[in-house]
Amino acid sequence: MATVDSRTKYWEQAREQGFDLSWLSQLQDHVMGDGVEEYSANDTGRVQGSIPRNNVARFGAYTFRTKSEVWAHNLTKLYEEFITRQWSSATDIPWETIQALPEDIEAAECQLATFFTQVEFVASDVPGRFISTMSPDYQEVRLALLAQVMDESRHLDVFRKRALANGGGLMRMTDSVSDVVGGSTDNAREFTEFSSRLHITGEGNVLTLFRLGEMMAYNDAEKAIYRRCAQDEARHVAIGVLHLRYMNEFSPERREEIHCYLDEGESRQATGAGGENPAGQNQLTSQALAVLLGGGKDKMDEGQNILRAIRQRQTKEYFQRLKSAGFDDRIHNGRVSPVLLEQYKAAA
Amino acid sequence: MSDPGSSPLVFPSVEWFQALRELVNSDEEFRRLGNIDAVMGVKVGERVFVITFEAFECTGVREGTEYDLIDADFFLEMTVEQWRELVTNTQENDGADLSHTLNTLDLMIEGGISDNATGDQLRADVFFRVNQSLQHFFDSSARLETVFE
Repeated sequence: MATVDSRTKYWEQAREQGFDLSWLSQLQDHVMGDGVEEYSANDTGRVQGSIPRNNVARFGAYTFRTKSEVWAHNLTKLYEEFITRQWSSATDIPWETIQALPEDIEAAECQLATFFTQVEFVASDVPGRFISTMSPDYQEVRLALLAQVMDESRHLDVFRKRALANGGGLMRMTDSVSDVVGGSTDNAREFTEFSSRLHITGEGNVLTLFRLGEMMAYNDAEKAIYRRCAQDEARHVAIGVLHLRYMNEFSPERREEIHCYLDEGESRQATGAGGENPAGQNQLTSQALAVLLGGGKDKMDEGQNILRAIRQRQTKEYFQRLKSAGFDDRIHNGRVSPVLLEQYKAAA
Repeated sequence: MSDPGSSPLVFPSVEWFQALRELVNSDEEFRRLGNIDAVMGVKVGERVFVITFEAFECTGVREGTEYDLIDADFFLEMTVEQWRELVTNTQENDGADLSHTLNTLDLMIEGGISDNATGDQLRADVFFRVNQSLQHFFDSSARLETVFE
């Protein structure tokens, strides 16, 4: 904690220098310091860095009060990216470009939009629970998750609007998403467990699908939706990779536990069980994707061929994220899913 | 198109990328897409260019070597013919058409066009995180009079 003298000196210097754009970073460095405590005894909702006050009601029974449980480096920088790359479903999507579509295409588009609405509901709901149970001393993590919730809310909103915009409406709730809604991601009680399942497995897969979106879009509105969502989703994946990287470095005793989360995620990625991967085999959503990519119900085979290539791409990116996070030993020691390894070799 | 009377710019060249830099740095729409902190390699056949983005601007353009790609967050690699097709398509359509966006090319060309030289996907993912800014950068080349080497 800085002293009153050093704060005064800093303010004088900053005023003389005219408060340039790095002002907030300078504040953090010179006034607050990077004093993020390993353990947070904060149980009063006191904001990070502020001066404690005695006799405050202890209402903050935070579950997560250890830095190593939740931390990741460089989240502040990522948060800046979050807030400058926001967009609006009301003003940034050219809805007027949506025209009547063949029935099979519209039905597939609406089925997929229903799935994404459903998934994004979970992706906003679950991080919200972790934010409220995390010590305010870990502000960077809270801000990144809050920004993610804002992104996911927009996705929930924009896909719902797309489902309703052209007469199709919301379609059937995807059965297998029971493992997402009310399932393993939803049931995560531990931050790393949640982040591995949501950010690495779930969002990693959906990112590839959003990227694919511009190829299966039938108008400029859909292209804009998918392009914008892909950017957002990549930031969410980054939260997970940065957290796992931190855990690998500072909590190596938890590596085996994390490998177990990855075992589970890979199994579901490979089989389609759990429903997080809409490109997974034999899913209601993968049928919708095949219709959209092929160009109609009668051209689903063409679409399935593209989907096969997409699964390989998902796997390649996932393997490289393991490497970035420091968990790529599972690729070489036989632990990784053999199905995914096969896909990775095919993509290499 | 570039100013009447000005010489056409050669692709690929530092001057061509420099002209793009000037265009996006005075373009409000580029700024509105959000901040972008990235070092991007562009590999055109054997030639390498290094483009640096900081905050809301393109801050640097230079010619480099294969070794520079190690320090880039990601690099885009295509053959001379593929780049020529991309630039021509961008000019013909006032921006890349659907089959020539960076994202589509990355999905459809075997092996993709974007990667991190060290296999670090966190840095490779920057290509996805700021993709619309990068697309805007290359789409701006529709305003340049371009000739090919």
